[in-house]
Amino acid sequence: MRVEEAPNPLAEGLHDYRVADPAVMVIFGATGDLSGRKLLPALYNLAKQRSLPAGFAVVGTARDDLTDQAFRKHASDKIHQFSRTQPIDDRVLAALLDSISYVKVDFSKLEDFKLLGAKLQELDNSRLIPGNRIFYCATPPTTYELITVQLQAAGLSTSSGFRRIVIEKPFGLDLESARALTETLHKVFSEDSVYRIDHYLGKETVQNILAFRFANAIFEPVWNANLIDSVQITVAEEIGIEGRGSYYDRTGALRDIVQNHGLQLVTLVAMEPPLAIEATAVRDEKVKVLRAIRPLIGEDIEQSTVRGQYTQGWVLGEQVPGYREEPNVAADSQTETFAALRLFIDNWRWAGVPFYIRAGKRLPKRITEIRIQFKRPPHLTFGREAMKEVDPNALTLRIQPEEGISLKFGAKVPSAGLRIRSVTMDFQYMTSFLVEAPEAYERLLLDCMIGDPTLFTRADEVEAAWMFIDPIEESWRNGRPPVGTYPAGTWGPPASAKLLQADGREWHRP
Amino acid sequence: MSTTIEPEVSPEWHGEDVTIRDVLEALTQIRDKFSRTEAGDDEHPHPRSCVMTLISAVSSSSQEHLAVGTSRAISAQHPAQSIVIREDAELHSGHLEAWITTEVQRSEVACATECEIVTLHVRGAAADHLDALVDPLLVSGVPTYLWWMGTPPFDKRELLEALRICDGLVVDSAQFERPYHTFRGLSELLKVAHRRMGLGDMQWARLKPWRESIAQFFTPRDRRAFLSGISEVGVDYEGEGRGNRIAASLMTGWMASALGWTLKRAAAGTGGVVVAHYEAGGRPIEVAFRSVQKQHLAAGEISAVRIAGVARGTTFRLSVQHDPERGRTVQEPSYRTLHTSGGEDDAGVELAERRAEWHRDVLHENMDSLHHTATGEAPGENRPRPSTVFTFERRRSDSTRVLLTIIEVGEGTPLRHVQQLDAEDVPSLLLDLLSTGTHDEVYNRSLASAAELVERF
Repeated sequence: MRVEEAPNPLAEGLHDYRVADPAVMVIFGATGDLSGRKLLPALYNLAKQRSLPAGFAVVGTARDDLTDQAFRKHASDKIHQFSRTQPIDDRVLAALLDSISYVKVDFSKLEDFKLLGAKLQELDNSRLIPGNRIFYCATPPTTYELITVQLQAAGLSTSSGFRRIVIEKPFGLDLESARALTETLHKVFSEDSVYRIDHYLGKETVQNILAFRFANAIFEPVWNANLIDSVQITVAEEIGIEGRGSYYDRTGALRDIVQNHGLQLVTLVAMEPPLAIEATAVRDEKVKVLRAIRPLIGEDIEQSTVRGQYTQGWVLGEQVPGYREEPNVAADSQTETFAALRLFIDNWRWAGVPFYIRAGKRLPKRITEIRIQFKRPPHLTFGREAMKEVDPNALTLRIQPEEGISLKFGAKVPSAGLRIRSVTMDFQYMTSFLVEAPEAYERLLLDCMIGDPTLFTRADEVEAAWMFIDPIEESWRNGRPPVGTYPAGTWGPPASAKLLQADGREWHRP
Repeated sequence: MSTTIEPEVSPEWHGEDVTIRDVLEALTQIRDKFSRTEAGDDEHPHPRSCVMTLISAVSSSSQEHLAVGTSRAISAQHPAQSIVIREDAELHSGHLEAWITTEVQRSEVACATECEIVTLHVRGAAADHLDALVDPLLVSGVPTYLWWMGTPPFDKRELLEALRICDGLVVDSAQFERPYHTFRGLSELLKVAHRRMGLGDMQWARLKPWRESIAQFFTPRDRRAFLSGISEVGVDYEGEGRGNRIAASLMTGWMASALGWTLKRAAAGTGGVVVAHYEAGGRPIEVAFRSVQKQHLAAGEISAVRIAGVARGTTFRLSVQHDPERGRTVQEPSYRTLHTSGGEDDAGVELAERRAEWHRDVLHENMDSLHHTATGEAPGENRPRPSTVFTFERRRSDSTRVLLTIIEVGEGTPLRHVQQLDAEDVPSLLLDLLSTGTHDEVYNRSLASAAELVERF
């Protein structure tokens, strides 16, 4: 093995040691909301954890006419406001700000990109950076193509080091636009240099699904249609559309949440064990699941999907307006703020097991969880009377906010008689480990810097997800099924409960 | 976020002249009471969580105070059982006096958790059988750690017996009363401890950010070759005279064991100076320790590490310094010119001066031959000139603890990098060690290598 490729022996045993090579991260849309709320605070926390290498630099770009100093002030303000760790450490912040500069870039002007190129060259020289670049598009998806084209035209798509581009969801609005986006990106970046970020995959508890399933011998033998009755996935938000009316009204819950977060959770629950936890093996298995999902066509869509829109109601003790009363939402909008569906995975492991997904806004609380409902025992040894207080075994993987895992099982009630009652065994993520969990963006940014795409979505995953979603979306646009309503602060329209009742089941109340 | 319920942070039980059976009964009652209170009308008792048992062996009231405080700090985040044992305490009567206090943490979203702190004051022969005292109290199925405060009696049967029931021993070698004698005892423990038992040293936890900073420098692929080009290492540690060189020895042991250096000879001079000569692949490496007085650092704590060398015709220098802005007297803000082999702080200046005085600078003595080996060029021809560093530090009033790294590669402009140090309070250090289960092969190797070095001087 060449010296350069050998592991760094001094890094051995540093358990959370993950340090990238020196690089420049260029943030397009650096003055925007995503940059201010997530990216800059994540970079600060990475610096605080000593995860940024010496020489690492950030170049913010946007249309605003700002000096380096003005952008640093902006970055400082956002970090103070949104960093998960407080109070802000002045010295760490000062060191990070020293590494930040700003270049005004109008995406339509090639000369701006050339100026950006000159800045990057200057940073390479002054900060011992071997030409490594990360281009983060914290901009609307409509700009991705133009940015990509201009990077190539300005000669920024080639350098002596690595080049990576990070894009945010939605990855297209349907299969056709997703393919077009991929095609555009591939003109300049190879697929292994494209990092499609779905921040859900950066959450520790989402990654723990893989650990739970594949690091333990006792769960995998029961993880199939023989013992599992059904799977419920809930992605609930208590907030509304938060001023994003014009975007959300064109998108809806199905495309905003189910197509990405929802189906990603399905893949992690349903995938076969990968050969190793590395990018290709994991993503290959996820794609197989997506391709095995039985397509919903024609009447299936009316029978297996529910859409809803919230009306005025009460959430967390406060009265909130209905969706159509939100700013920038059409008064006759048919866009769904709640989506529920039942899907089946047509493979040996999951044949006949329904996966129920529901996602929505203005639900009673913010919670994401996966509930694995097991079948009842084949024979009631203790008799029906003794078992009447026993629910079937259920395993709940809580993704947020109360991260953890609960297993429900029957136990004998202490008394002279024989009564069985359900009890819960509870694992709480935040108390069980003696270390603090990083925020999803911190994890994903670092993965990108290191060059580990395991937790990023590959092009074929995106396309397979859209293949399943597109027919539903088309049917919904044609009013089949019609959009139902639900008062804000409830668990969706009545049709959602009926979807499960028709199968003799009911939603678990998180 | 968790919040503590104030009324429940109070002594729950106290007994004089009691037995461990009495303590167990009291514990059972306390747990039962908590379980019933939490269940309320629900009738479904919540599951009881516990992630570990931490046994603290203390020998003074100040240590006892620290152990209880640390247990409380840990229990604020992690449900655990803590047992604090104090030997030879003054008892009113009998051989065992015990206290149980509880801490309840109530999360807004999750079940409440209860942590118990059991304090035992023991006198007489019972104190010689720690394992018999503690074993009945242990929570089944979770790891047990023994934190021995002060100087552990490595030569006593009592400690080895106690370790039989533990998954890990935690010490702080910075607190050892006879550092070298005790340090040897610690390294000997590796040979006699049972297979499951881990070993943790708070001094090692304090070195973590240093190790990270040094490892980071060599992480980029184009710098990996520098690892086999290191020719000089300087370590400064806080102390007057000889002081406690354990941290410096561990740091050296870490590098030597990771990079395959063989110790050839070592000698200690006055004023804490130690020079050790290692060899790797026929290449000499000189390591120099020196004690410096830094009031803001703990005794023995490292204040600076400097690494220099040459590989493939390029010189490199890495300087990592602890809180360079603190504890220094800066007359006027001004630029200072320093040779990088000495670093930029006061300690570095002194080390560079001594080196010049002694004419023993291995790096410069061997520069020609190293350059010749790397490039094939004739000795003295095109030899890279060490660049000169100009640095400027203005003292600030803040008290942030940081590491300043200065990197020089070839003749480029020095690159400065500031990184924050983790909190180094006792609970943080302890959690850092326990989060790895105290099983750290790198520490074990570094300890063995450091012990070899200590033995030589």
